[in-house]
Amino acid sequence: MTSQTGAAPTRTAREFPFSRRGFLRDSACGLGAIALARLFVDDGLLAAAPSPLQPRDPHFAPTARNVIFLFQAGGPSQLDLLDPKPSMRQWDGRALPPSMAGDLELAFIRPDARIWASPRRFRRHGHSGTAFSDLLPHTARRADDICVVRSMTTDQINHHTGQLMMACGTPFVGHPSMGAWVTYGLGSESKDLPGFVVLNSGSGADAGSGIWSSGFLPSSYQGVPFRGTGDPVLYLSNPDGYSRASQRARLDALGDLNRMHRELSGDPEVDARIASYELAFRMQMAAPELLDFSGETRATLDAYGVEDEATSQFGRSCLLARRLVERGVRFVQIVHASWDHHAELEKGIEKESLATDKPSAALLADLRQRGLLDTTLVVWGGEFGRTPMVEDRTPSRQASRGRDHHRLAFSVWLAGGGIRSGQVVGRTDDLGLRVDEDPVDVNDLQATILHCLGLDHKRLTFRHQGRDFRLTDVRGNVMRNLLA
Amino acid sequence: MALARWLVSRENPLTARVAVNRVWQQYFGTGLVATPEDFGTRGERPSHPELLDWLAVELMESGWDLKALHRLIVTSATYRQSSDVRPELLEVDPGNRLLARQSRLRLSAETIRDAALAAAGTLDRRVGGASVRPYLPEGATEIGFGNFVQWPQSSGPDNYRRGLYIFRQRTLPYPQLATFDAPDSVQVACRRDRSTTPLQALILLNDPVFSEAAAALGKRIVADGGPTREERIRHAFRLCLSRDPTRAEVRRLLEYQKTQRRIFAAEAGSATASDADSSAWAAVASVLLNLAEFLFRT
Repeated sequence: MTSQTGAAPTRTAREFPFSRRGFLRDSACGLGAIALARLFVDDGLLAAAPSPLQPRDPHFAPTARNVIFLFQAGGPSQLDLLDPKPSMRQWDGRALPPSMAGDLELAFIRPDARIWASPRRFRRHGHSGTAFSDLLPHTARRADDICVVRSMTTDQINHHTGQLMMACGTPFVGHPSMGAWVTYGLGSESKDLPGFVVLNSGSGADAGSGIWSSGFLPSSYQGVPFRGTGDPVLYLSNPDGYSRASQRARLDALGDLNRMHRELSGDPEVDARIASYELAFRMQMAAPELLDFSGETRATLDAYGVEDEATSQFGRSCLLARRLVERGVRFVQIVHASWDHHAELEKGIEKESLATDKPSAALLADLRQRGLLDTTLVVWGGEFGRTPMVEDRTPSRQASRGRDHHRLAFSVWLAGGGIRSGQVVGRTDDLGLRVDEDPVDVNDLQATILHCLGLDHKRLTFRHQGRDFRLTDVRGNVMRNLLA
Repeated sequence: MALARWLVSRENPLTARVAVNRVWQQYFGTGLVATPEDFGTRGERPSHPELLDWLAVELMESGWDLKALHRLIVTSATYRQSSDVRPELLEVDPGNRLLARQSRLRLSAETIRDAALAAAGTLDRRVGGASVRPYLPEGATEIGFGNFVQWPQSSGPDNYRRGLYIFRQRTLPYPQLATFDAPDSVQVACRRDRSTTPLQALILLNDPVFSEAAAALGKRIVADGGPTREERIRHAFRLCLSRDPTRAEVRRLLEYQKTQRRIFAAEAGSATASDADSSAWAAVASVLLNLAEFLFRT
């Protein structure tokens, strides 16, 4: 049942079965957002029903079909990981000159804090010669698959707003996240799994569910968090005492009674509800297979570090991300927290790097080997970077040194899915304080990610409170220098 | 004060139009103007402009008496129409904007919880008071703010309070509410989606809140329904759907109760095996709580 009849199709309506107006009408007649029309077609039900997650054509030919966003919450120190500054050594221990402090916005330290040159050793890797610090030995081996962007900037210096900015394009709560926008724009190829899956690793991000929210978009586009303990999806297991046979008997009785009601009421929405139960049952069957790593080789499990305590959480998430992408899930977001090293940075960053470096690299290698990297865009980054100046909460102890939040320059990396790999984009000044060349702000990064998926960030809009909103709000440019 | 006077001035029809439209939307699913938040040039045109204006004038002339407006709408012939869908109407007016029938609306997130608890006889109908934190499975808080959201489960009758009293944790929306389209608590929303997703099915089938309601309803059916299985099923239908079942429905549920009892009894050692008959009645109750007819205002 479609409600498009009676209105001249607008440009949007042709592009998306769920134009704003179409959606309102559909909600109005109770059809609302149904799950996966493809399923209904397969099951011979409701052949004409528009579905929110039905695969849709992009605006133009894409270079990526899926996204894996490795969200490094807390603000990893780019100066100790991806942006080497050998010239900082001569400034080490000296206060930042007032002339350079300018309009610095800092969360905890003062603008005249002392500069702290990174204690890490950087080396160039691969044919491309991209530099990585000794904290990322495994990622470094994928140098030729990676495009490092050293010239990121953002508006926000606090975690919650910064994470929202990175995930949703604005610092305000209530806006849809990137995964929600992408599934709204493209639907999902997966028939028995959600289109946007969230995996959590580490201590949990400050913005909580805000960074996978569907905001003002229909709630079908919300990220579905797969949980680390218990059922991967909430309430996936049958209740106590229900075997597969009794669950099946329950669904058969329910289906029959619903069909009787369908006959009497004539309401096609009942078909959607019947189908949603069948999909739930299939999800119950598919999830154990998804989570069952027994078909993976020993080499793969070792590469991801699935069984090693330090890497197991992020490693499992990365391996799961690959398996989700293989099954057609459109957008996978792994949230790792936290890189918020105000104090004891050296100890903390070693721990987080150890937890994430090997699995991230394994993910790239594995995707590459399976031919999936060409169509899967992998993004690694957090909400902001950290200051070149030291944050010294216990000055008597050298090991207590940390760095403050820094929004004027930070680094992310991208790989696969149409990204020009083996290059470094952007340059920061000698202290890594500000961007000197090729600035990329958060909205630019988002516009570029959408571009890889074949979506024009200016045309992917949703009308809300009287105006058309988009992921990049009122800004954002596609960064051609990132693209292959 | 001037603004207040202007808002309710007889010369300004907008306030009353917007107000009656929102009340209308509650009863029909869609407002006479389908964009309740936008009566401007980019909003939708009203489906029945004269009706909208008439209701707006009625509201003003009644002294802005909202109760009178509700009564006016629910006693109208339009409201009291059957919601059955005739195929030819589906063809010409799929969105039912012309109101040739009543709309069929999936209940809201909170109401679905309330309806299940009410059918089970466990709903706590107290009004007001502090918010409550009903059951959440272990580990469900791990997605909340910085991993340290506390969710101390409420005790006793607080677990059975109406959905509207569930605590709204900003970074940890209560899963049952969020899955059934309750808006993010930071959103200004004057309209909700009514989606149908597999995650909703999983909650209604497997969430212990709903399993427990099914168990309570199963007990209630056996205790109050009468000695025969047919009578019990009739009682269950009246409790859940306010109607008697058809013969085919009774037959199908009798068969199901028997099947489920046999499966439960055969699975020795499981939670349902020890009292397979009661468990099978709870399973019947669970089917009723999952029926489209139960979840819809028809």
